[in-house]
Amino acid sequence: MTIRLLLPVLLLPLLTGIAHASNEAAENRLKSSVAEVVTIVKGAANREALIASVKTPLQRILNFSVMTKRSIGPGWKQLTPEQQQEAVGLFTTLILRTYTAKFTPGDCPSMEYKPSSSTAPGRVEIPTTSLYKGSRYDVVYRMEEQNGAWSITDVVIEGVSLVADYRSQFDAEFKSGGTEAVMKALRNSVAQAK
Amino acid sequence: MKHSKLELMTGLFVLLGLAAVAYLTIKLGTGSLIGGNTYAVESRFANAGGIHPGCSVLLSGVTVGRVEDVRMDPSDYSAIVTLRLTSLLKLPSDSMASVKTSGLIGDKYIALSPGADEASLKPGDRITLTESAVDLESLIGKMAFGSVDKEKNTKENSGKPNP
Repeated sequence: MTIRLLLPVLLLPLLTGIAHASNEAAENRLKSSVAEVVTIVKGAANREALIASVKTPLQRILNFSVMTKRSIGPGWKQLTPEQQQEAVGLFTTLILRTYTAKFTPGDCPSMEYKPSSSTAPGRVEIPTTSLYKGSRYDVVYRMEEQNGAWSITDVVIEGVSLVADYRSQFDAEFKSGGTEAVMKALRNSVAQAK
Repeated sequence: MKHSKLELMTGLFVLLGLAAVAYLTIKLGTGSLIGGNTYAVESRFANAGGIHPGCSVLLSGVTVGRVEDVRMDPSDYSAIVTLRLTSLLKLPSDSMASVKTSGLIGDKYIALSPGADEASLKPGDRITLTESAVDLESLIGKMAFGSVDKEKNTKENSGKPNP
């Protein structure tokens, strides 16, 4: 009886310990990826070489399949497996192209990590402040653990979530023209970004 | 005798009117007028500025619930907002909740956008994918004081390269 009463008390430090460990694992994963990207940006000779070599580490840390699914939202379930696969490919190209276009060889923001918080089991939010070309940006990285590996599933810049922003656009397309409209919007965005 | 009966009736009528006003105030204020069964889910915001119990919860512009409670999580100082939603609404577990304002100076409300997960949110579950209230003042502040940061950054850069 006593042990049953004491069990929650005994388990509490253990659970807090687990939460701390997961926070640390996610933080280390993010920090090592940022360090890897920074090394590439600093060592790149020109913009083309930089964009080509930065893609691999970005694809490793960003979970594009989850991001695509969440960005499309309710329309995702209506897509055929082939369309889902195509959508992930297009969305990956779109995000990588949009964000690597901002990179300049040798020019990196200074990042400051704030204490992370575990929002649910297997989910960690890491708030950061980036100082880039004289402007300060608040960026929150939402990370999730899948099969023992941590990856980024959403980025919140100045309070605006990437997934929420794309979801509002794709959902409007889906409501007006169904799955074909979603796929068309994706193909158009990728074609325009070229 | 007849006179006092009339007075009594008037008194009762006034009391009934007051009771009706009180009932409506409470019901409208907390939003319990959403018919049928309801369930509660929590959502975690970094900043729930302007949200208070009774605020509307909208999905595609339709009221699907009300804010029941707003409290602070002492472990990380985030805001935990309890939403009471109509049980007719089945939300995928990766749904998002955002703090929005109707118009420029309008009331704050919570906007829900459903996700794509097969699993649905169960009563008591927590929405972790959220967007907090956009702080206009701090954005204006950043624009106004951006030049100060710039100077500091240039000075820092002259000594050592940025990491």
